[in-house]
Parts: sequence; structure tokens; C-alpha cells
Amino acid sequence: MLETFNFRVILEYLPLYGSCLLATLWLSGAGLAGSLAVGCAACALRTSRFRLLSLPAAAYIESIRSTPLLAQLYFLYFGLPSLGVPVTETTVGILALTLNSGAYMAEIIRGGIQSIAPGQIEAAISSGLSYLQRMRAIVLPQAIGITLPPMLGQAIVLVKDSALLSLISLMELTRAGQILTSERFMPAEGFLTSAVFYLLIYYALKTLTVWSRKRLIYLHTG
Amino acid sequence: MWGVYLEQLLQSLPFFLKGLWMTIAVSGLSLVAGTAVGFLWGIVRSSRSGVPKALIGAWVDVIRGTPFLVQIFILFFILPEFGVHLEAFPAAVIALSNLAACFICEIVSAGIESVPHGQREAAVASGLNGYQQLRHVILPQALRVMLPPLVGQYVLLIKDSSVVSAIGVVDVTRVGWLTVQRIPQGILVFGLVGLLYFAICYPLIQLSNSLEKRLGRSSRR
Amino acid sequence: MIEFRDVHKWFGDLHVLKGIRLHVDPGEVLVVCGPSGSGKSTLIRTINRLEPIQKGELIVDGMKVHDPRTPMTKLRAEIGFVFQQFNLYPHMTALENVTLAPIKVRRIPRREAEELGKEVLAKVGLADKLHQYPAQLSGGQQQRVAIARGLCMRPKIMLFDEPTSALDPEMINEVLEVMRALAHEGMTMIVVTHEMGFAREVAHRVAFMDYGELIEIAPPEEFFARPRSERTRHFLSKILTH
Repeated sequence: MLETFNFRVILEYLPLYGSCLLATLWLSGAGLAGSLAVGCAACALRTSRFRLLSLPAAAYIESIRSTPLLAQLYFLYFGLPSLGVPVTETTVGILALTLNSGAYMAEIIRGGIQSIAPGQIEAAISSGLSYLQRMRAIVLPQAIGITLPPMLGQAIVLVKDSALLSLISLMELTRAGQILTSERFMPAEGFLTSAVFYLLIYYALKTLTVWSRKRLIYLHTG
Repeated sequence: MWGVYLEQLLQSLPFFLKGLWMTIAVSGLSLVAGTAVGFLWGIVRSSRSGVPKALIGAWVDVIRGTPFLVQIFILFFILPEFGVHLEAFPAAVIALSNLAACFICEIVSAGIESVPHGQREAAVASGLNGYQQLRHVILPQALRVMLPPLVGQYVLLIKDSSVVSAIGVVDVTRVGWLTVQRIPQGILVFGLVGLLYFAICYPLIQLSNSLEKRLGRSSRR
Repeated sequence: MIEFRDVHKWFGDLHVLKGIRLHVDPGEVLVVCGPSGSGKSTLIRTINRLEPIQKGELIVDGMKVHDPRTPMTKLRAEIGFVFQQFNLYPHMTALENVTLAPIKVRRIPRREAEELGKEVLAKVGLADKLHQYPAQLSGGQQQRVAIARGLCMRPKIMLFDEPTSALDPEMINEVLEVMRALAHEGMTMIVVTHEMGFAREVAHRVAFMDYGELIEIAPPEEFFARPRSERTRHFLSKILTH
């Protein structure tokens, strides 16, 4: 296999891969930031006592979790123009990643808050802390610690999911492989190189996850 | 305007159901194959034996670390260079089974490791052999822990199967993509696609949740 | 029946058994005591090779346990082992717990095994708990099921690793009662325990272990009245004042 593998072509296309790597990072980074915001909001609404707020949030979360990202992406890509909303591919891509990942983020955040032992909040109440003080000093620090590893896991998912954006012709790592395949008929060189770059991101995020689990271990044993 | 499109869409409903059937066939076959292979790998992975365990671990990492779309492109476009010509359908099933096996392998090995060490010791002390320990003592207990994430994994599998539309398998997503070229109403067309996925996935997610609640509680008895 | 010949065991750098020499006759009841970390649990765990030994010879029922080629499943079927934490299978009823090994290892037909299981569970006073799951039983009842699980294999030897340490005080006696009855039937038993009343009454010999060595071994009258070693005296003075 290696004797037929054309490293020269890869070298030639390396600048393309470089810019596509940056594009993948930027697209998934934007999706991550957006989904954190959406996730927080959806979680707040979801746990609200008012059904008028909690029901739509629940419907959003459940319908996202029950359908594939690709169908959601096409829904926005073909749907928004048909509604007369002019959008660029980049906007659609980031929007799809944000809305998709936001539903999962909402569940991660909810799990984090619920996993805090009721005794913690009772202890805080008995020492006279107000609601805001309890949130700031007791609930949030623990919730962030508990949710950090699954959020990093969600970041890994986002990076991989951003590959689907190549199907609406956005430039990113998978698209680079497609370009090498169509311009030079070298799918092996094209897609294996993409895969290597994805793996680099994956191992970086995985190392971070392991590190965060180790740093935050006290939260899980307490 | 919408009325006309809606009628056109209803006329192509059989096409959508065919696509749905393809989605079910691809994910169903991969579910069976992926579960079988995943259990095998998971058992090896939770064992002490060195080389196979390390190989499986590395493979799982590679598959978990790369997008499924890239995996399926590699399988579909690169194998022909080595003289192996795969149709889109078998390529899709192989890629999806492998993906499922990698995730199920992790679920199985985590389930096995969740069984307290004393259980294996007790089984060893009463003279059960390795297979009997696994079959009668370890796996029944591990299964409790494994079942909810396993069902959750099947949901992911069905959703991931939408990606095989990219190599031309005419599943429900592909049907949507083809239809939207004819009926330019993305909301309507992919709303229907989403509805069909929802009809399968939502009950499974509820099943996973209720299993988690029931098994989670009873194992803490 | 059991013979330790200069047995050594290491956990990494830690030397946990330092040249154990010990001989246990058929029908003998040996109680082993000693401070925690003295190696007494490790000692009985080597007998069915839950812990392999690194040096010396260990012969059990004529089989060379120290030889890695000796197939252990057959020998383990002859040795009942009772754990401090019971280790009952939580997904099986009491009856299923005690019949699993007879059916799978001894290949006894299920019906016969169930008859045997009922008989043995009745013997430990649990005839009315056959179909209860471990989580529905008290600690003392669970430990009696665990003893019955060992007995159902009709073992030649029963090993007890601190069988009452995880129990609430009011449940200790029901377990000791079962063990006492077993000893009177002539079972070969090694019991790691701090229950000195049980040792005095039931044991043929009592052994004291410390830092991986067998410091002293003697019949109970002698062991308690005239301990020879200073370490034994010190240990006994601490444990008997409670």
C-alpha cells in the first residue's frame, strides 16, 4: 500500500489541508460556543415550572435527539431559502451544529445540576446563603466540574459532525479529501490525510478529557 | 401553493416508505452484526490478555476519532483501488457495523468492569471455568448496566445511518434529498424525513430512559 | 490434607508470606488470627489459588497447588470458600446461588441439585428463604447462604475469610452457630477470625500470624493460657479486652 501512496501530492495539497483544518476548528468552535448558549437557555426553560416555557424546550430537545444531524442540516439548507430567508452555507452549517449540539448540551447541563447532592443545597441553606449565593458558591462550581468531561466529549462529537458540512459544499477537512479525490483521483491520499488531521484533534481533546477527569476526581468521589 | 406541494409530497409517500425501509434494513443488519462483534471485542478488552486487547483499543480510538462520513468514503472509494469492489449497500452495512461494534465494545467492557471483583472471586472459588464465570455470573450482572446505553447506542446507529446516503444508498435521507430537487419545499420535505426518523428513534429513547430508571433502581436494592 | 512447605508470596515488593510451614489434618479445625495486614487472609486465599504463591510448595488434597500446571477448577470444587463480603450473586435467588456450581461444575441434574440446595439451606436455617434475592436478606442470612453455597459442593475443606467481620453484632452468633455445627460434623476447616470465643470452643489449634510469619500455633487451651511469644501476648491482650 505504501509504495503506491503518493506523499508528494499530499505535500502539494498541504496548504489546502492547513486552511481546511482551521476551517474545521472554526466551524466546530463556533458550533460549540453557540451550543453552550443554546444549551444553557434550553436547560433553563426545560427545568422551568411554567409549562408554557418547559414544553417547547422539551419538544426542541426531544426532536433534535430523535432525528439525525444530516436531516436537520438539509432541513435548514433547503428549508430556509424556501421560506425566503437568504443564508450562506457557512451560516446554515454553524446554525445546524449549534441547534443540534445545543439539545445535547442542555441535557448535559441538566444532568450536572441534578447530580449535586440535595444535602449540599440544604447545607448551604442552613448556613444562610441566598439563592444567588448558593448558585455561585455551591451549585455552579460543582456543576461545571461534573459537566466538563461530557462537554469535552460533546466537543469531540462536534468536530466529527462538522464533516457533514462538506455535503453542503463547505470547505473543511472532509471537503479537502473530496477535492483531492476529484482533482487527482486519489481518494486514499485524500481521505486518509483528512482522517489523520481529525485524529490529531481527537487525541488532543481526549487528553484534555482525561486530564479534566483527573483534576476533578474529588467531585465524583464526594 | 403549499397545498400543491403537500399533495405532490403525499404522492411520493411510497418512495419515502421505501427509503424508510432501507434505513431500517441498513441499521438493523448493522445492529445485529455490530452487537455480536462489539460483545466479542468488549469481552477481550476487559480481559488481561495483552496484544488483542491493545489492538482493539487502538482500533476503537481510530474509529471514535474520525467522522463516520470519512470512514465510509475510505471504505467506498479506497477499496476499489485494491481490487475490492463493494456496492454501496454492503459498504454501508460494513462501515456502520464496525462503528457500532466500536461503541458497543466500550459499553460492554465498562459493564463487565462494573461488576464487583468479589463476584468473579466467588465464581472462581466454586470451581466455575472462565466461560461459566462470564456466562452465569459476570454478564447477567453487567447486562443490567449495559442495557440502557446499549439501546441509546442503537438510536445513534439509526441516526448515523443517514450518512450512508452520501455514497448513494437510497435511505430516507437520500429520498428527501432527491425529492427536494423536484419539490422545492425544504421545510416540508425534510420535515417529513425528520418525522419518520422521530417515529423510530423517539420510542427507543424513551425505552432507554425507562430502562435506566428501572434497572438503575433495582441494582441499588 | 493441607500442607504448606516454606511458602512465600510477594505483592510487588511487599513480602506478605514469609516461609509459611503448616500442616492441617483431615477433620481439623484451625483458627488463624492476627492483626490486619498480617497476611492471614492471603494465607487462606493461596489454598485455592485465588492468590498464586511464588516460592515453596503447597499441597492440598494431594494436589500441587504451587504447580501452575495443576488444573485448579477440579480442586476448587472440593474447597468451599466463604468471603468476608459474602459475594453472593445479586441476580440469583438463594437457591439459585447455591445450585449454580453443583449444576455447572459437578454436572448434577437441576432437580437433584435443587433438592440438595433445599436440604443444605434448611441445615443453615433458611428453609423459608429459598426464593429470596440476596438484597432481601439480612447480613447474617446472606452469610449463611454463602456457607450453604460452599457446602452444596460437598467439599472436603471449608475456608472462612473473616466471615463475621462485615456483620452487625446481633447477627454474628447465627453464623458462628452454623460453623460450630459444621465443625462437630468433622469438616476440615480453616477460619480466619477474631472471634476468640469461637476459637476457644471449636478450634483444635489456633495460629497467630504477624508480618507474614506464622508466629505461634497451639491447641486453644495452651494458646490462650500460655502464649509463648511476646507478640501473641500483646495481640491477645488488645483483642480480649473488648
